[in-house]
Amino acid sequence: MLFRTFIVRALLQQRLRSAVTIASLAVGVGVVVAIQLANASSVRGFETALEAIAGRTSLEITSAGGALDETRLAELGWLREYGLVSPVIDADVVLAVTSASASPRARGTPDPGSGGFEPAAGPPVEPPVALETVRLLGVDILRDRPFRDYPLLDGDAIRETTTEAFLDRLTDPQSVILTRVLADRHGVAMGDAVALASGERWASLRVTGILAADGPAQVLDGNFALMDVAAAQWAVDSLGRLDRVDVRLADGLDVAAAELAIAARLPRGMTVRRPSSRGAEVERMLRAFHFNLTALSLIALLVGLFLVYNTVSVSVIARRAEIGALRTVGATRAGVAALFLGEAAALAVVGCALGAPLGWLMAHGAVALTSSTVSQFWIASAAEVPPLDARMVAVAFAVGIPLALAAAAVPALEAARVAPLAAVRGDRDLAARARLPRRFVVGPVILFASGALLALPDPVGGLPVFGMLAALAVVLGAATLMPAVLVAFRSAAGTALTRWGRVEGRLAHANLGAAIPRLSISVAALAASLAMMVAIAVMVGSFRETVAYWVGQTLQADLFVAASRRGPRDARAAISEGTEAVIAAHPAVAAIDGFASVEARHGGEMITIGAGRFDVVTTRGGLQFKAPADGRAAMARAAGRDAVVVSEAFSLKHGARPGDRIELATPGGPVRFDVAAVYYDYSSDRGVAVMDAATFARHFGPRRPAGLSVYLAPGADPETVRDELRAALGPERRLFINTNASLRTSVLRIFDATFAITYALEAIAIAVSMFGIAATLLALALERRREIAMLRLVGAESRHLRRMIVIEAGALGVVAQAVGLGVGLALSVILIYVINVQSFGWTIQFHLPAGFLAQATVAVVAGSALAGLYPARLAARFACNDLSDAR
Amino acid sequence: MTVLHARGLHKRYPRGDAEVTAVAGVSLTLERGAFAALVGPSGCGKSTLLHLCGAMDRPTAGEVRLEGRSLTGLDDDALTRVRRARIGFVFQSFNLLPTLTVGENIGLPLLLAGRDSGDARQRVGEWAERIGISHRLDHLPAQLSGGEAQRTAIARAVVHDPVLLLADEPTGNLDTANGRRIVELLREVNRSSGAAVLLVTHDPAVAAAAERVLEMRDGRLVPTAERGPDADGARRTRSETGVAAPASVGARPSVRAPEETVSTVRGAAAVPGAERPGAERSAS
Repeated sequence: MLFRTFIVRALLQQRLRSAVTIASLAVGVGVVVAIQLANASSVRGFETALEAIAGRTSLEITSAGGALDETRLAELGWLREYGLVSPVIDADVVLAVTSASASPRARGTPDPGSGGFEPAAGPPVEPPVALETVRLLGVDILRDRPFRDYPLLDGDAIRETTTEAFLDRLTDPQSVILTRVLADRHGVAMGDAVALASGERWASLRVTGILAADGPAQVLDGNFALMDVAAAQWAVDSLGRLDRVDVRLADGLDVAAAELAIAARLPRGMTVRRPSSRGAEVERMLRAFHFNLTALSLIALLVGLFLVYNTVSVSVIARRAEIGALRTVGATRAGVAALFLGEAAALAVVGCALGAPLGWLMAHGAVALTSSTVSQFWIASAAEVPPLDARMVAVAFAVGIPLALAAAAVPALEAARVAPLAAVRGDRDLAARARLPRRFVVGPVILFASGALLALPDPVGGLPVFGMLAALAVVLGAATLMPAVLVAFRSAAGTALTRWGRVEGRLAHANLGAAIPRLSISVAALAASLAMMVAIAVMVGSFRETVAYWVGQTLQADLFVAASRRGPRDARAAISEGTEAVIAAHPAVAAIDGFASVEARHGGEMITIGAGRFDVVTTRGGLQFKAPADGRAAMARAAGRDAVVVSEAFSLKHGARPGDRIELATPGGPVRFDVAAVYYDYSSDRGVAVMDAATFARHFGPRRPAGLSVYLAPGADPETVRDELRAALGPERRLFINTNASLRTSVLRIFDATFAITYALEAIAIAVSMFGIAATLLALALERRREIAMLRLVGAESRHLRRMIVIEAGALGVVAQAVGLGVGLALSVILIYVINVQSFGWTIQFHLPAGFLAQATVAVVAGSALAGLYPARLAARFACNDLSDAR
Repeated sequence: MTVLHARGLHKRYPRGDAEVTAVAGVSLTLERGAFAALVGPSGCGKSTLLHLCGAMDRPTAGEVRLEGRSLTGLDDDALTRVRRARIGFVFQSFNLLPTLTVGENIGLPLLLAGRDSGDARQRVGEWAERIGISHRLDHLPAQLSGGEAQRTAIARAVVHDPVLLLADEPTGNLDTANGRRIVELLREVNRSSGAAVLLVTHDPAVAAAAERVLEMRDGRLVPTAERGPDADGARRTRSETGVAAPASVGARPSVRAPEETVSTVRGAAAVPGAERPGAERSAS
């Protein structure tokens, strides 16, 4: 009852302030929900695809080194004791279709999820052409039908398909079955020609069936193709090799027991696991990325909470007399505190209720911004925002309400301390407070010191938990230091404001002094978000400089050739001997280094095992070594031996230092390798272990490289040689040839795309806190109505009032940005030297983006001055009869 | 010379669905050097009339002329400039800016008018000296006693040499002695600068200090007679005449509508408020 009359009614009366608070809170909660949804979507997309492809598979058998030699199937005959067995080709390929909907310029358009390699040639289908990345499953349909459902369509109806019917459609080695969704998207019909490429070679195929959206056909928004296993091996250039063997356990067998039993009997180099374990692996891989995004999203929420604190404080200060009256008529201290906590809860309930759907909407933007990063660095998946379910709404409330209550606790307790006499005296807490309690200096010092200490411990489970806490301590320290900073600023800026700001500056200066306790909160919120902006700008700027330097040093070759848009990381996209021979034969080519790789697991993490020609890399390449001092010589000595050079991320995640020995899984079983050197690598946070090509061939069998680094003779023009190579290679080979310059450009473009989400989150936090400045100035203007009316009375024109409030707002911007710069630099040190190293294993060289920071400073001060415009306009409208004693 | 000429002033406010008439057809003329008190019960429209005369508010109907210049049609900022240049205000609750020092408060109208700050400082010093608060110039209003605060307010109201000084219950928050000093100060300013003073008060003793007492009731001026320091004079005057009339105050009546009766009051200033029991309403 009291809550309704005292709090709800007041909130409704202060509509603007309530709306601003709720909106800020909704945005804060929304950002958190959006990031959770975006994070979930990247994993979920992968897991949905995984489940759809796995079907009724219980266990899968894979070989170290990625591909399972078909001839070794004979060693697995005993698997039938456990149930059914189906050998599988499972690959991401590029499908080219003659598309009615594609534009005529589509020939050679980038594949979806591209990374910037330029194709040298187009597919052998008639233009116009559309290219799609599809998941290709090659199966022996006789064995595979118990594993997965393939609902073939006959016209619009699903036809009951006999195995014979499937055989009819798949026996021809050029047959491919597509999904209805994919076929409809491009107007493809039965019998149409399509082409498929996984490496440099295009395979011409014919559509012999259309699948309804069920079973594996649901994956990746219908981007699915089915072929016979033998035809698929040919199409993806994997003759004699399988990706895995799926096992469907006989009814009644326990999966865990069977997994153990099979593992014990498998030949060396093979492993058994459940399909779902790949989902967990992906989740683990993305964990650090997601953790950092979540932490970033909490900043926006933090700013929203500052505003809750602000709103409740305003209402406590403005209503001291009423609180006193309540106490006089018998309200207890606890009751008063509960009322104001209730105010925060009421705001939070509305804010969270709006924040959850808002977050879902924002998640679409977040997914668009993150999915290219995720697919570039980790997994290809159709990232789709999951529907807003009860769990996410619960997350919104679980995050928003307790934090809002915590934010309101301080002002609520202040309200509880109001004495009944306040009503009689009609207290107004507006007099200038010149003195500063000591706790305003001691508190921040303690927080800063804890920040420094928290930066020291190791990560927890691979996550920089203490690093984040250190950053939080520094931000809170800066926030609590704000009153002291404002007092200092006011006395320091007094002369400047009164001399250059004329009478308005003098008034603004006086107003700032009186409102320091109130302004501190809003300025702290703005300063906190600005500090994060500065920190992230410094971190990203440093990172970019480091990467640019690293790219410049590492990429020494003149041309880079790959058979996949993803570059040499796409292990399946091998470059043929013929292609390498054509390139080697060019008179300007001085040396070639091939890079082949396989995916592997090491210490519970996915890693990449790579092969390169150590002789070429050490004589011509520009690998930058972290350790030992003469990494190049150590690498040269490792050539041909069982030794590897590992990336910095590998070294940090697995504790491998030069001189250590590590055990890597090979098709022949685990082998121990010496760690010869650690090199810097910013292309992926996944650990990479590279061995000499000869060593690799000995353990993993002959394997064609997926990328070539081509070194030209002195004086040769890379552009000319590239064009000549394209001509020599002919249009039938699908190859991506980049010059050094274009590859560097595309590396930095990918880099910038990766950090787009960071800037988006930052912009939101800053916008919310500017909102906060405006809201505070507005509240102050309303509270000072009388004084403003007085100013009008003695001759202040509207321009005087506008200037006064805009100067105040601008001064707040100056303080916020000054603190933001200082704290931001401290945070950037934590980000660069603690959080990044612990999350991704990257050493970043500190670099100050001075130009950007200068621009940002001007923008922030101008922006906060603009935030003062609305309150200023409002104040200018106050009539001087507001002054009347009768009111 | 006529400082203020108000003719047929009406002021109506919407309140809920109804309309409240605060001022219902008041005409008033103040000559240079006039000192008039406006009395009447609470809610009779005294303060509203003061606001209308002081260019703080716009009449619903009627016209205010200041030194012959009509205020009708001026926008907010133009009215502000008029106030800044020609009018001074004193209020019951002082209305000093709590964040400015005494000196800054006094000099504010000059600074807002764009006067040179050295010049302003000199003027502030002169006035502070004159009203006896020069030792308080660097203090904040919260550190002043009620009397000092009101003297500061008066200094601020006259620092720019206004032709019209309006005071709304200037002694309402003060004890008797301080109230008396304030009225003396207003009288002194009135005599020395020739500014016309219009003073709203509840206090008969204060009203008695005026040359003329104008009584308001239900938004109208009621005719008053020339009167002495008698505390009940105003009420008695009204009961004798009972007819609403416009008033002209000052050396001589200037404007006179045919049907209007204008009474002129001279002198009769007495020292007010010597015996007001229990006047302890200091706000300091």
